Amino acid sequence: MAIDHLKINQLLQRLRSRPYRIYEVKTPHTGYLREFLVKEGTEVKGPRGKWREIPGTPLFTLEREKNLKTIKARVSGTIHNLRTELEGRFVEAEEVVLEIRHPLSQEEVISEFLRETLILITAPETARYLLAPEIEKRIRKEGLGKVFVKPNEEILIMSFMKRETPIVHTGETMVIFRIFFTPQEVVTAGEPLLGLCLQEEVPYLERVISRICEEWPEK
Amino acid sequence: MSELYRELTELLERALYVRDIKGEDWQEISAVVGFLQELREKVYELPGEELRKRFSLLKEKLVALETLAAETLSPYEIVKITRHPQRFTLQDILENVYDNYTELGGEGEINLDPAVVVARAMISRRVGDKIYMHQVMVIGHEKGHGEEFRRGGSAKPWGNEKALHYMKIAETEGIPIHFYIFTPGAYPIEDPPGAAQQIARNLYTMAKLKVPMISFISEGGSGGAEAIGLADLRLMASRGYYSVISPEGAAAIEAKLKSGRPPRELVEKCARNLRLTAEDNLRLGTIDRIVPEPPLGARRQDYGFFKRLRYEMIRATDEVVLQTKSLRTFRKYVLSRKNGTEEVPEDFGIYVNWELTEDEKEILLENRSRKYREMGRWAVCGKESTFKHYLEKSHDLGLKVFHGLRYGVFKQSHRALRRMFEELTQESSALLKPVSDPVKTVYNLLSGKKRRIPKVVSWIERPEGPEELYVSPLALEDRTVTCPNAETHGCPDLWVPDLYGEFCGVCPNCGYHFPLEYQWYLNNLFDRGSVREFNEGLSSGNPLNFEGYAEKLAKARKSTGKNSAMLTFEAKIGGISLIVAMLIADFRQGTVGVAEGEKFIRACDRARITRRPLLALIHTTGGIRIHEGTLGVIQMPRCTVAVREYVDSGGLYIVLYDNNSYAGPVASFLGCAPYQFALRSTRLGFAGPRVIRETTGEEVPPDYHSAENALRRGHIQGVWDRRELRLKLYEALLTMGGRNLYYR
Amino acid sequence: MKDRVLIANRGEIALRIMEACEELGLDYVVVYTRPDEESLHVRKAKRKYRIADYRDPNELLSVADEAKCTAIHPGYGFLAEDFRFARRVVKRSRPLTFIGPRWEVIRDLGSKLNVKRLAKELDIPVIPGTTEPLYNEIEAEARAEELFEWLRESGEEDPRLLIKASAGGGGMGIEEVRELEEVRPVFRRVRAYAKRLFGDEGVIIEAKISRFQHLEVQLLGTPHGELVHFGTRNCTIQSPGRQKRIEIAPGLDPQFVNYSFDADALLAEIINHSLKLAEAVSYDSVGTWEWLITPEGRAYLMEVNTRIQVENEISAKISQVKSQTVNLIKEQIRIALGDKLRYQQKDIHFSGTAIELRLVAEDTQRNFKPLSGTITRFSWEKHPWLTVRTHVPQDKPYTIPTEYDPNLALAIVWGKDTKEAQQRALVFLEEVIIEGKRSQGEPLVTNVSFLKNKLTEILRFPE
Repeated sequence: MAIDHLKINQLLQRLRSRPYRIYEVKTPHTGYLREFLVKEGTEVKGPRGKWREIPGTPLFTLEREKNLKTIKARVSGTIHNLRTELEGRFVEAEEVVLEIRHPLSQEEVISEFLRETLILITAPETARYLLAPEIEKRIRKEGLGKVFVKPNEEILIMSFMKRETPIVHTGETMVIFRIFFTPQEVVTAGEPLLGLCLQEEVPYLERVISRICEEWPEK
Repeated sequence: MSELYRELTELLERALYVRDIKGEDWQEISAVVGFLQELREKVYELPGEELRKRFSLLKEKLVALETLAAETLSPYEIVKITRHPQRFTLQDILENVYDNYTELGGEGEINLDPAVVVARAMISRRVGDKIYMHQVMVIGHEKGHGEEFRRGGSAKPWGNEKALHYMKIAETEGIPIHFYIFTPGAYPIEDPPGAAQQIARNLYTMAKLKVPMISFISEGGSGGAEAIGLADLRLMASRGYYSVISPEGAAAIEAKLKSGRPPRELVEKCARNLRLTAEDNLRLGTIDRIVPEPPLGARRQDYGFFKRLRYEMIRATDEVVLQTKSLRTFRKYVLSRKNGTEEVPEDFGIYVNWELTEDEKEILLENRSRKYREMGRWAVCGKESTFKHYLEKSHDLGLKVFHGLRYGVFKQSHRALRRMFEELTQESSALLKPVSDPVKTVYNLLSGKKRRIPKVVSWIERPEGPEELYVSPLALEDRTVTCPNAETHGCPDLWVPDLYGEFCGVCPNCGYHFPLEYQWYLNNLFDRGSVREFNEGLSSGNPLNFEGYAEKLAKARKSTGKNSAMLTFEAKIGGISLIVAMLIADFRQGTVGVAEGEKFIRACDRARITRRPLLALIHTTGGIRIHEGTLGVIQMPRCTVAVREYVDSGGLYIVLYDNNSYAGPVASFLGCAPYQFALRSTRLGFAGPRVIRETTGEEVPPDYHSAENALRRGHIQGVWDRRELRLKLYEALLTMGGRNLYYR
Repeated sequence: MKDRVLIANRGEIALRIMEACEELGLDYVVVYTRPDEESLHVRKAKRKYRIADYRDPNELLSVADEAKCTAIHPGYGFLAEDFRFARRVVKRSRPLTFIGPRWEVIRDLGSKLNVKRLAKELDIPVIPGTTEPLYNEIEAEARAEELFEWLRESGEEDPRLLIKASAGGGGMGIEEVRELEEVRPVFRRVRAYAKRLFGDEGVIIEAKISRFQHLEVQLLGTPHGELVHFGTRNCTIQSPGRQKRIEIAPGLDPQFVNYSFDADALLAEIINHSLKLAEAVSYDSVGTWEWLITPEGRAYLMEVNTRIQVENEISAKISQVKSQTVNLIKEQIRIALGDKLRYQQKDIHFSGTAIELRLVAEDTQRNFKPLSGTITRFSWEKHPWLTVRTHVPQDKPYTIPTEYDPNLALAIVWGKDTKEAQQRALVFLEEVIIEGKRSQGEPLVTNVSFLKNKLTEILRFPE
């Protein structure tokens, strides 16, 4: 496979013109929004550290059933549209409280590129998904880009309407190159779950990724 | 001129050494150094006479300073001597004390662990005109003179494993072992075989290793030192230090520092408080003898010191050997020695064969056991009144006879019977047989026809759960808490009365174990009303007069109502009675000192005599309590000896870790257990993340000390769930352990 | 002070509770999740709060406090039979009324094994098997041998046993064995499964009854010690996943089917046994006693459901109290709030047959796979004998949320006898129109034709 420089350039150009993404921060559940810990325009950080062991910047506190929780940023960026009027009030679940304008990182640009290049397994239904235990074990052991999935092998498990349905790989033998979903979280139908490629494509993909790394240096 | 230049250089080195030890601001030392440097620079410029004059004056001045320096040495300055790159190392000892040696298991940098050196060596003595050669195994730490790869003598887990391997070879070959301790502490990593677990294994083996062992301490850094420290005779260099923790480490803890350096004055104060010098240790009884060094410490060229060390090592080995032979020869030999400071004689005058017969080996082990059991025992406080103590002792004696007959005689085990009578006669002579009760018990048993068979609980039957649940005080609140794994496992918030009630403090979604108070275990793990504490009167004292410690202890006593962090009690699980030793977090973070160790040893003995299984239930342990110094450290070998004797007698020793378990106790009497289990969410290991970062310069992952990782590394045998703890323990009692349990 | 009820449920049961509250003149507050925004129970409610999850007690209680509710109705499913929730509701520092039985009753009757033990004490027949969880295979084998023996003696030609996780439910963790040799491996497997799924290794062994009908007795008790029944129901027609699809009240009809035993006597027997157990535990709310009956006329108590059932309305339709129709949900709320019953068993009269049909978006051809999609048209002819309970709006498209069971509606049909009820049910199924699309655009199918087929088999023992 030849490197489609044109396509990659177009992608990078598009990302450069709008190099950030807006993340809405919602209340995870009901409760009293006690206090905002950030202001409009505050720079916040997501979880950091080699093992993401340092939690993100505290955003606000939410108290429910005498349990005061600090809601922390999951991504880095700048605070916008802070709804200060909610402070001190009872809020419902999934209420948008603020937005984080998040500049795209190298990793995310790579992810964006892979979404457009890999063969994707998309979510057939809006449901929760899990890797098939066998696949998960192999990925944990060998890492992404090394685990093969054979035709008719169970690759994912869909947890849908209280039932667990296996999703079987239909194509030829391929390598799992990327995971796009978070286990146990609801994925909207049509969103990518996994990105696959042929084994011979792996070196090509790695070359392109290193190119992106050069063009989009980590800040 | 070059002669003078050389002398000047030497003098300068001596001056620099004094400056290193005493500090730049001490007296005129910096000035002397400056003058010497100047003089050396101008050595070819100045006229010879003036040079000599100035040289003599400076030399005079320096000698005076050296004398003053030696007279005013503070404990922290001794620590600095011990750590100085010019100090003699094991390599120097091998060159100068032994006549010939072959390094085993690595040379220099090409080594499994360059911090641990093992050598097969010969040591010689002259008797008349004959030279006798002895073969010994030399095992010790190599600090190197500034060699980076030696890591200052910090043994990695596999370095200690190497030491153990060659100890066993020495045992096979029947040659004595000379240990040389030059370590700031073990390298605190968990990689298999594990820092703590390997030290524990070493101690466990050394407790019953059938060859004479002598150890010599120059730098005795806590657990790392003990890994090769459980010897029959412990010598110490007069300018060495032996301590539970480095003065800097103690200061960091005292100042509650998270990072950075503690202030110098605090370090000095801690060094004083820790009582870490040779004189202190001799007074505390944690070492047997001091090997004198030059006043400012021996350096690599101090050949006189090496000669003395050779003499002391041979003598020490002789004594250990002779103690296994007849007492009279031993006494004679000891008397032949004058007072320890005498000149080293050229002629030994006596030759002692270091080989032991099988019987002598047995005596060697008995002597060793007695030595460690007695070590530092003077520091145990709060003994019961003599009357009460007396009763308790006779009670134990009664138990011994009773259980010996009940479970020993009927098994027709002659050995057990013999041991029992031996123990009986020993104890009886101490008691002068004034108690008739136990004798009656024995009488009844022997003459009565009703032989009560102990009710063996069928393994099909399951222990009944306690009818009424103990309610944790934590549960009495209407509020909710968030599981720490909520983010990753999606756990719902937990209502506190449910969590600390029926859920046993376990998140029902992810299995995370919230910490629970120790009383919960007392009430939920054991059969209702079966817990009977013993030796609760034994208490921690302040044997070092550590500043502020007495107040801390008093506070802990008041808040817990306990006298030490170690509770020892008899209890039952599903009808099976067992002895439990429990370290509780509430009392000084479950740290181990004199009282804790003593209670553990007595619990081991009680379990052995009554043939009960022994459970070490570790609610939390923060390690050896620094405020009791090396008296705390020696609880590591002491307790290991006692527990080894318990296991060897055919018992069942189970360790169960909860919350946090670190350092000394894990690296000795806990880590050596054949069966170790941890509750989920437990963290256990050798050193915490801060110490690891400071020692190795690397961060460790947040789950580095998790129970799961401990299991993966083979440090423990299983991870248990608190909700089924009682059942798991019950099953373990039935299925594991030795032949000599009362219900077998 | 006027009571205010938090309706801690969704869909049609939320709607029925809302209706009952309105009729009783009570305030109520509704909760809903994001995917349920279009549900009728949300549209019709005046006070409503969006929450993260119906299963999270913290969400419900947080809203209950904020909305100043005084009582909680748990409906069915979710937290309805969670004794810890019931206990927390009444034990917290701001207690609320739990509309359901006392938490102790929920706890004690919530364990099938405990029900079995209680029943044995009261001489109520239960399916032969263990009454204590087993933990080791030797004991399991011994019990299995006894049971095989018993089955053979009672004339079973192909005796089978069921090995179940004692903490299980809803058909999970159950395996069948036909011979003694299988017991050990199967036992181990189920035990491992039970440990993994329910955190408890306990396993029970029961005789498998091969042919049976599933009957229920509807009871209502009060904290004042009053206790009445509202007859029986037959719930034999289920999906393979053991979910009920057609229910009929009364449970047996000798005018409609020939039985080899005295049907009326058997119904009287299970009602009396149910009352006996209810009395023994001082049952104080609505509840259902589930029975299994064999073609020979033997009855075994299976379990007790300590909640309002989906199918409660068919019992109401055939019952009249002092010539008035009954609403069991209203009765449940009224009793929970402290009211007395105000009538006795002799005031309750039964007439006719009622049938409930559950309309579900499921592919009956493909192992009853639940389906999601959008309902574009949903309508039916109105009849005086027909009640339709649904949260699906008829005036605009409705997307079935994927988080919950794809139940669309309940149709409750009454006839003066079983035959008439059966015909009317068929009429409804012919007339109902459900159209919709699945996420990939293909038409949405429902179980209507399955229901039509099964309607011919009602009240009969399955072959």
